[in-house]
Amino acid sequence: MTVRTLFIGLDGATFTVLNDLIKGKDGEPPVMPFMAKVFAEGVRSKLRSTPNPLTPPAWVSLMTGRGPGHHGVFDFIRAEERGDDVFFTLYDSRDCRVETIWSIASRQGKRVAALNFPFTAPPPDDLNGFVVPGFVPWRHLRRNTYPQDLYDRLKQIPDFNAQELAWDFEQEKQSGDQLSDHDREQWVSYHLPREKQWFKVAEHLMDAEAPDLMAVLFDGVDKLQHQAWPYVDPALQTGELSGFHLRMRELSLGYFRQLDGFIEKLVTAAGPDVNVFFASDHGFCASTEIVRINAYLAEKGYVHFRELPPGDAGMRRDNSYFAFLDWHKTVAYCRTPSCNGITIRVARNPGETGIEPSEYEAVRNRLIRDLEDLKDPETGERIIAEIHKREDVFPGAAMTNAPDLQLVLRDFGFVSVRNVLPVVEKRAYPIGTHHPDGVFLAYGPGVEKGKLLGRRHITDVAATLLYSLGLDVPSDFEGKVAEAMFTREHLDKQPVVLGAATLSDRAIGATETMAEDEKEQILAQLQMLGYME
Amino acid sequence: MSSLKKSTTIETVIAIVDDLTQDWGLDLSAPVSECTQLAADLQFASVDIIQLCVALEQCYGRRFGFQDLLMKDGSYVGDLALSQFAAFVDSKLKLESITP
Repeated sequence: MTVRTLFIGLDGATFTVLNDLIKGKDGEPPVMPFMAKVFAEGVRSKLRSTPNPLTPPAWVSLMTGRGPGHHGVFDFIRAEERGDDVFFTLYDSRDCRVETIWSIASRQGKRVAALNFPFTAPPPDDLNGFVVPGFVPWRHLRRNTYPQDLYDRLKQIPDFNAQELAWDFEQEKQSGDQLSDHDREQWVSYHLPREKQWFKVAEHLMDAEAPDLMAVLFDGVDKLQHQAWPYVDPALQTGELSGFHLRMRELSLGYFRQLDGFIEKLVTAAGPDVNVFFASDHGFCASTEIVRINAYLAEKGYVHFRELPPGDAGMRRDNSYFAFLDWHKTVAYCRTPSCNGITIRVARNPGETGIEPSEYEAVRNRLIRDLEDLKDPETGERIIAEIHKREDVFPGAAMTNAPDLQLVLRDFGFVSVRNVLPVVEKRAYPIGTHHPDGVFLAYGPGVEKGKLLGRRHITDVAATLLYSLGLDVPSDFEGKVAEAMFTREHLDKQPVVLGAATLSDRAIGATETMAEDEKEQILAQLQMLGYME
Repeated sequence: MSSLKKSTTIETVIAIVDDLTQDWGLDLSAPVSECTQLAADLQFASVDIIQLCVALEQCYGRRFGFQDLLMKDGSYVGDLALSQFAAFVDSKLKLESITP
């Protein structure tokens, strides 16, 4: 058996940075010489992310060829309103309503390996291949690794360390407590051994198992850029740079240099006959201001914050990242910073609080006008550049789980949900945030050379990977094969074929709750990643 | 995960907890039993409790709505014994069996 398709996910990768890292400067070689070769000998295009360019909806769209309105994953955290409280839960693979490429390829006899992809835990029990999920703490990797004996096999890899490999909530919480220079350096350093662990697992599986589809996600790109954006954005390397800045830049470039080496080794190990694809779930750019959306909605009368209880409980609440709202009076609010959306509370059943269903359209239209009115007092520019109704951006059976309005801030930042004024405040320094344009590259036999193609959509990746495997593209995919990436000769030899639809809805209903400190932990992590002020 | 299903719910819960914690390096003074407390005895953090809930749901092939166990009067409970988890699962299974 040999690998037919190698897919390397680069979470948050952007051409803004990659274009810079593939060029030599001042007689020095490029930071990413192998990626320079991929640029020269392969093809590339921008990749438009999901309406909210966020890891959960975007990666799940990439893995399913469908938008969030179909797959149903909109955020890290799902909220359920129950009476006078809101229960926050974590999304997992069971919440995805549509079939993934891992499953589609599996049931057609292809062996797959999916390493470090979010929302692959818990893994399905009928996969033809291997899953080591991402976003799972090390203590739960064994149970969420598939097949069951794989974890013990991985432990035989020299220097394998599950604690280094897995998502370490605790470390990231500590890092998030203080954004000192030291912590930022630690943050970047932390991802160097992590990526090495994933590389070694990928290298091992490719050598020992040679699955038809070998896929590994390196997520350090995203994590690093959130905290180190000022040091990697080429546009911010001007003027007099501090010693710390230069040290952070060198550390960050060291990360990319190491990553380039891992990529080269994986591509080389896969062999010359393999189609190689790279994609990111979104791009990156600088966020320069904090937008406290619930505070603004409170000014407009949609949100009513609750009075904090006295003593320690009040202090804990005040420091909490969740809005402490009066559910009897709140009409519309933002649930989490990462959702960048507004949920309108509609009383659909007797005893529920919120607006009457008949008022929905009027309230939503008024809300849109109020959001449009949030403007920069100096320039008159709208702070919220785009406001989308959910039916326009999340069509599909899962649309009712989406926010009623999806917002795009003018700097692409994530909103704050805290009860703090002013509503809009300039950040002390720019931080990395998600830009809707990620990257998509192809390299290998049958692939065009050296071309920059028109922008593709994130759902196209799934279709393209299945095509590369020699499989039909499911007729209900939203994504299309990126045919322009391939030579005419290759397309003539292997035409794109639309085939049977995916298997239908697999998600199951109810949910489990998340305890208070877990919420805090996850949110602290999200704060570190720049989803919160 | 369904291979961990035993003849009684408490045996299943214990088997899942044993499976879950096998790599944790815990120094337990006694084997895991129905009296074992998740936080006090096994150092469970919230994320571990969530994983236990997922593992139980996978084992039985259904969701149980563990919020009814994990929350009391609007607050999250501090700690739980395995027997409480087993009793909760039993009550849900029983309810399901009598619901037409």
